[in-house]
Formats: sequence, structure tokens, C-alpha cells
Amino acid sequence: MTTAVRYSAEVVRRCQQMARAGGWPEADPQVGTGVVGSLEAGTLVRLQVRIDADVVADARFKAFGCSAAIASASLAADLVAGRPCAAALTLDAAAVADALDLPEDKRAMAAHAVAAVRQAIGDWERRNVAARG
Amino acid sequence: MTVSRPVYLDFHATTPVDPRVLQAMLPYFNHVFGNASSRQHRFGWKAEEAVERGRQQVAALIGARAKEIVFTSGATEANNLAIRGAVAARRARGNHVVTVATEHHAVLDTCKALEQDGCRVTVLPVARDGLVDPDRFAAALTEQTVLASVMTANNEIGVIQPIAALAQACRARGVWLHTDAVQAVGRVPVDVETLGADLVSITAHKMYGPKGVGALYVRRASKVELTPLFTGGGQERGIRPGTLNVPGIVGFGAAAEVCGQELATEGPRVAALRDRLLAALQAGLESVTVNGSLVARLPHNLHVSFAGVDGEALMSGLADDVAASSGSACASGSREPSHVVKALGLGAAEQWGAVRFGLGRTTTAAEVDFAAERVVALVQRLRAASPVEVGRA
Repeated sequence: MTTAVRYSAEVVRRCQQMARAGGWPEADPQVGTGVVGSLEAGTLVRLQVRIDADVVADARFKAFGCSAAIASASLAADLVAGRPCAAALTLDAAAVADALDLPEDKRAMAAHAVAAVRQAIGDWERRNVAARG
Repeated sequence: MTVSRPVYLDFHATTPVDPRVLQAMLPYFNHVFGNASSRQHRFGWKAEEAVERGRQQVAALIGARAKEIVFTSGATEANNLAIRGAVAARRARGNHVVTVATEHHAVLDTCKALEQDGCRVTVLPVARDGLVDPDRFAAALTEQTVLASVMTANNEIGVIQPIAALAQACRARGVWLHTDAVQAVGRVPVDVETLGADLVSITAHKMYGPKGVGALYVRRASKVELTPLFTGGGQERGIRPGTLNVPGIVGFGAAAEVCGQELATEGPRVAALRDRLLAALQAGLESVTVNGSLVARLPHNLHVSFAGVDGEALMSGLADDVAASSGSACASGSREPSHVVKALGLGAAEQWGAVRFGLGRTTTAAEVDFAAERVVALVQRLRAASPVEVGRA
């Protein structure tokens, strides 16, 4: 048996406060949804962006997994909220991992969160391009 | 009633040294410091007397004779000595070993290592209740089987295997039976005659004794002779050479005596607290499932799954309030549920949401109530932020 990993104060704070936890209906035309991972693999991140005039007006997450996965999703949602889509797409997994001071074997959780951001913006773009076309 | 945080509910991992045990040990660090193998002077004689008293106390707890107890550095060594020692000693008979998927790594990994050296190893599955099927076990034994190793009580899910039935099957085929009994001894009555195993591993630190000392019971009547792991000074009749850990053995003996005296009252007391914890968790939350049999189970064990929540996230979030244990481990970014939980065949949500609570001698009702309240609140918070739909229980 293993007990919990010792995380940084920032990971602990994010898991306590769950900043930006939640979501919106996927069918909402202003919303893009990204889902990365699977329950079977032990990490599942669902991140949503609400986009207004090519700016991520708001972002929400739901995450199943370890504290690193939850904190990464929460921070990623924080970092893209209020930024233009093009800037949000440049979000760097290493920067998320560094900001949370994730242990080496947990840095992949930051990559999950960043991949979910990119998927979410891509989802919104696909659906809106299709709607415009 | 106030509780001291974090509440310790990880008594399967280890236990604090009982103050009575510590008192018994203290003189043997300085005043009575002799080497138990020093036969030529009083210092050695006193140390030897203490070791033999400890041996008798440990033997008495499990209904053994003192001569059947071999002291080791702990249960991992006892398991290695039993398995490797038996396989090496019985080469003329065969090279087949039978074990079970939910064994401790000290057994499973030892068997794997032997497999790499040419042994044939059969790893039997368990049913959903965590128990091995005695008929399937008996069918796995062959003329080439030299040893079977099945733990008495599981260190994660706390289920108690039908060792006496397995021992009968072994005896009928001339197979030695080893059982890792570290979680059971001192918690439930364990009598080696009733159990019927030929080799029994135990350790002090799981029963309010010190870390770094364990023992292997070696049944004399079965003429079990083990090949030692080490060469050296011939201590422990040559089965386990090495200077004896006199303070540790004194503490082991004292711990065994206290456990024997309190077994009849402590078992029902912690079982009632365990049931109280489960009731509080199930009253406060949906989809809380108990893993493994609740009937054939250690009184101080509760192993539950909180569907939709990751056990590790739960443990991290509880760090200031409750010390328990989740089975999942992370290695280089990929995650794995515990091998015990996987062997039960649970769904993914239950596998990841598994948590072990281990109650002990110092656990109080106030601690249990506090722990339940904090666990319920955190599971609710984690579920609210989880993308996994939790089914109605």
C-alpha cells in the first residue's frame, strides 16, 4: 500500500478550494469541451472554455485522478481564462508543472490539463467554423 | 471530546510501541547489553535469558513451542527464509510453488525471483470476496509442489483465508504450507495447531512492538528443514545466523504477551469501532462499497471504495486530518491500482477509489467520528469536481 504523495502548498490549496471546478452544457455554442485520459487509466480531465470574440471568457474543469491531476486542471483553467484563444493555445505543460512544483513522476498530469485546454479550444473552433460555413 | 489531528488509521502499516513494551525493552539497550551468543560470561547469559523469555512469549501467543520460533529482522526476511529456504531444501522433490494473487510483495516478488531461477510458480486467483477457493487450491498441488504460500489475513482488504482447509490439502500431498500471518497475529486468535501451517511469518511492529524484529515459526513435527539465507555464526540453530537483536526480541515478547492478554476484549472493541466508521461513511455518502468479505475479516480492517473519487487524492486532501492508505501507486506518469484491488475484479471507479482504514489499540469513538466526518466532506467535494458519474447505490 502507498500513502499520499507530499505535494506543494499550491497543489494542496487548489485541491481544497477547487477553483474553477464545474462545467457547462456541451451543446452550448459558446462552449468548447476537451476530454483527456480515461477512468480505466486512472486520470480523466474534462476542461471547458466559454469563448466570446476569440477570447476565453471563462474556463471550468472536472478532474478524476490524483491531486496533481486536479490541481493541474484547476491551474490550467485559471491561466487561460481571460486570454485570447491564440495565447491560450500556447499554454506550456512545463510551466504548469513548475508552478505547482509537481514531483517528477506527476508532471505528466500537467500535460493532461494542457492537452484538455487545446482540445477544448479546438472543439469550439470546429463547431463554430462548421456553424459559420 | 477533542481529537489530536491527524487521526492515525493506518494500523496495518505499523503500530506505535506500547509503553509497557518500551519499558520492558529499555534496560536491554545499555544495562543488559550483552551478546546472546557470548556463552562465557554473565553479560551473555543475561542476554540469552532475555532472548529465550521473548521466544517463549512469542511462541505462547501462537500456541507453538519455543524451539519452533526463529527470530529474523522482520516479516520480509521471514517470508524470504520460508520460501527460498523451503525451495532450496526440497530440490530433490520438485520445484513447483503455489501462491495467491493477493499476497504481499514480500511473497509474490520472492516467488517471481524464484521463477526466474527456474521454479514453476502457480498464482491462484481470488473470488470477489478476496478468498481463495480451497478446491481450486488443492487441485493446483502436484507431486512436484514443494511449498504453498498463502497469507492468513490480507494486509489491504483484511480478509482471512481458510488456512486450516488449505493445510489439510497440503498435508495430504506432502506439500509444506507457509503463511504470512503478520496482520492476523495479535489481532485474532492464531494457533499454529489449528492453523496447520508448517511455516508462519510474524513481525513485532504490527502488534505494538518494535520495528526490525520478526520471527518464522518452523513446525518441528513436520520435520521442516530450511536452507538458511545467510552463512555466519550459527545463531538460531544455524537457520538464521546473525547477532540477535536482544532489545527487539524482548520488545517482541512483551508485545506478544500484552496482545495475548487483551485479544479477547480488543478484537470486539475495534470491530465495533470499525462498524461505526462504516455506518457513518455509508450514512453520509452514496456508493461506498466494502471490498472483500465482511465476515472472514480482521476486526480492525475497513477497506472501502468511494466510486468517482481517486483514493490518492482523498489521502492527500485528508493529510492534516486522517492518516489512512490508498492502494494506487504512480510510476513515471502511469498509474496502477493495487494488485490486491485488481485481483478482486472491481470496476475501474471502485479500483481507483479504494481506501484502507486500519484501527488500533489507541483508536477512540471520537476519532472514528471525526475521521468519518472529514472523509464524507472531502469525498463530496471531490465528487462535485469529478467527471465520473456516481451511480445510485
